[in-house]
Amino acid sequence: MKILMFTWEFPPLISGGLGMACYGMVRALLALGIKIDLVLPTKEMVYFPLREVSDADTLPAVFVDPVLHKEYIRQSFSTLHERLEYIGISGQPESYLRLSELREFTAAVEKEKWESQFSTVQEREVFADVSAHLTGDEDLIKKVQEYTLRAERFARSLDYNLIHAHDWLTYPAGILAKKISQKPLVLHIHATEFDRAGGPGDERIHKIEHAGLMYADRVIAVSQYTAQMIMSRYRIDTGKIRIVHNAFSLSEESVTAKKRIFKGTTVLFLGRITLQKGPDYFLEVAARVLKEHPDARFIVAGSGDMARKLLRDSAAMRLQNRFLFTGFLNRRQVEDILRAADIYMLPSVSEPFGISPLEAMAFGLTSIISKQSGVAEVVNHAFKIDFWDVELMANTVNHLIENPEKCRKMGLEGMREVNQIHWKEVAEKIRVVYSNTLADYIKSNS
Amino acid sequence: MLNVVFYFQVHQPHRLKHLNVLDVGKNIDYFDDHLNGQVMRKVAEKCYLPTNKLLLELIRNNQGRFKVAYSITGTAIEQFKAYSPETLDSFKALVDTGCVELLGETYYHSLAFLYDTNEFLDQVAQHRELMQSEFGYYTQTFRNTELIYQDSLADLVYEIEGFKTIITEGAERILQWRTPLYAYKNYSKDINLLLKYYQLSDDIAFRFSNRDWPEYPLTVDKFVNWIDHLTLAEKEGRNQFLNLFMDYETFGEHQWADSGIFEFMQHFPAEVLKRQHLGFATPKETQELANYQQEALSFPSPVSWADAERDLSAWLSNDMQHNAIETLYRLMDRVKQKGDAQLLEIARKLSTSDHFYYMCTKYFTDGDVHKYFSPYDSPDQAYIYYMNAMADLEERLS
Repeated sequence: MKILMFTWEFPPLISGGLGMACYGMVRALLALGIKIDLVLPTKEMVYFPLREVSDADTLPAVFVDPVLHKEYIRQSFSTLHERLEYIGISGQPESYLRLSELREFTAAVEKEKWESQFSTVQEREVFADVSAHLTGDEDLIKKVQEYTLRAERFARSLDYNLIHAHDWLTYPAGILAKKISQKPLVLHIHATEFDRAGGPGDERIHKIEHAGLMYADRVIAVSQYTAQMIMSRYRIDTGKIRIVHNAFSLSEESVTAKKRIFKGTTVLFLGRITLQKGPDYFLEVAARVLKEHPDARFIVAGSGDMARKLLRDSAAMRLQNRFLFTGFLNRRQVEDILRAADIYMLPSVSEPFGISPLEAMAFGLTSIISKQSGVAEVVNHAFKIDFWDVELMANTVNHLIENPEKCRKMGLEGMREVNQIHWKEVAEKIRVVYSNTLADYIKSNS
Repeated sequence: MLNVVFYFQVHQPHRLKHLNVLDVGKNIDYFDDHLNGQVMRKVAEKCYLPTNKLLLELIRNNQGRFKVAYSITGTAIEQFKAYSPETLDSFKALVDTGCVELLGETYYHSLAFLYDTNEFLDQVAQHRELMQSEFGYYTQTFRNTELIYQDSLADLVYEIEGFKTIITEGAERILQWRTPLYAYKNYSKDINLLLKYYQLSDDIAFRFSNRDWPEYPLTVDKFVNWIDHLTLAEKEGRNQFLNLFMDYETFGEHQWADSGIFEFMQHFPAEVLKRQHLGFATPKETQELANYQQEALSFPSPVSWADAERDLSAWLSNDMQHNAIETLYRLMDRVKQKGDAQLLEIARKLSTSDHFYYMCTKYFTDGDVHKYFSPYDSPDQAYIYYMNAMADLEERLS
């Protein structure tokens, strides 16, 4: 089986859980013998033909333009980083930046050209929604437009059985590819605009998400929580939805042995500092706990648009040097901070899945996770609390600080539990989704 | 007679590294020696060495009639020794002329006065010892960090033997209709007060090279004529003091050499001394020269020489600054209880006011000044690095 896969994040191009999830999933799918042509938002027009598990790390690339490809092959790169730089992968993608400041709409996706591709009324409607809403002056929208227009080339020139696209940024590309190739489309929902925005969100993104979900042959939701969300908010055909939880695998180089930084109990927030992740609830909990246990330390690891507000609020609450910020951390640093912490908190307002708590549990941290999360469906050895119940979260942290033995035991049990969760099973479920989708598609088109 | 009283502030902080939470507990040095050395060598080359050379010449050429005062912080002296010993030697040569007064202040250029009286007294004593050991000089005039002053400071300084004069900002909200040209007394009449004449001081310190300023270019002739005019109001023979207080880095660093600032200074003393009723004095001499009953001035709330507000807002106006400084003085107590001399020195280096200045979020014109002086990208970054140092310091304590 061969898959044309569209995603906005893939290591080293990574800003959050999407990249981590795609990486784990792709490796496991490759291990099952599924071939994947991966398309990323690269500067140059390339795709990545992945055939072996190791390809997920080395990322062999093919330029669509044969002249450029010859040139690329002639280049000698001393490091992977150098080669990826050449292709145009660097830094962090903005996939989860919110689209604010709506400016004048400019219809930059060539409407007529697109429209000619679609024949049925339903298709025209879907497309009209996408083209009408994939407009705007933001850098991100422009990048999505470009990515989508490129999809046409890949859709025509590559050979594949099925299309798999992750999150709204790649849905327009997926829709176009399906239309051109007449191959079935599987959309994967890692997060919806409702989760990210913590409120109404961007109308354009809602429309694109809705159009994509309508047009897809199958929709994979990362949790029951997310499936519920798309059923109630987008009202799509529930028969199309399949739930496949994410997994987490520690990399082989990871060292999980504790290496403390602080003598006091260390409580960690790890993730993007955005409304969705509930960092303000973390701050509230810290303020309450520190009144009882001034030796505790609260660490906010990550960056995001709420970082400045959180920093200043923590200063206003006079939490002294007990509430600290690491800023953006690279992989190695993330592991260092996990090794240094005792308790992990995920107070997300809305978390479709949440891989980061699994990682924290793999490092033996005792986890307190929001009930409003998908990850709460797959783990038992963690405290599950409503994100808004600051009182209960604070009491739980206090209890754990006062009973360090219990805290350690809970952490170990959580670690054991998470070590049983593998991407292999995820890939097997996805393979079933692929084959059923293909079978249904062939049936309905014959 | 009107006496021009020059006082120059000489200070360099120990700037912090970009400390991360992950650095905590690794026993790393907080201070960015590389950057600090770089800054010191640059400022020495552009300002300290050429200005000291010029002033030494001027003092020698004017047979004791041209005088200046310096306040040199302990942290500056430490960095002279580390990165520019020739600068320290050139200051010693100046002090040796006998025409230079050295002022007393906190060794660490700190805000200790506002938070910890004992720490303040310790730092003042430490600075006085340093002036004694480096220059053989016994300080008699006091200037608090950034000219911060209020009534309670005078009470405190009065208790320290030997300080008879305090210098501070001539803030309008205190002076009201009065002129800063006379020597005043503190509210309890124990101490001689000298107030900065900020308009003329700032003409040199801030406006000298500003081409949008209507008075640009500022010539010696023009400036001395303005000074001359100030004497017209005095008809009873009372001695006046024109207090020109500024950062020493004005010369060659804030106002670049090509602005003509050195030429201005070179010709200024001769032009002043040409005129019979104008001269120079040092701060400590003013007490004797004040040939009149000095009016008492009360400063119920603090003033400083910083920014348009002339208050504490440059260091203590937002939550980050307050949280940072409160953390510092809480830890300072614990460091003292522990009695670890090395940690105490580190904590004191962290008490330097510049660390809080970098966290200032006031914008508009003053924000530009803050930005110019800050080695960090933003006030938030400065705060993060500082709090990480605080976190590490506390770990070293327990």
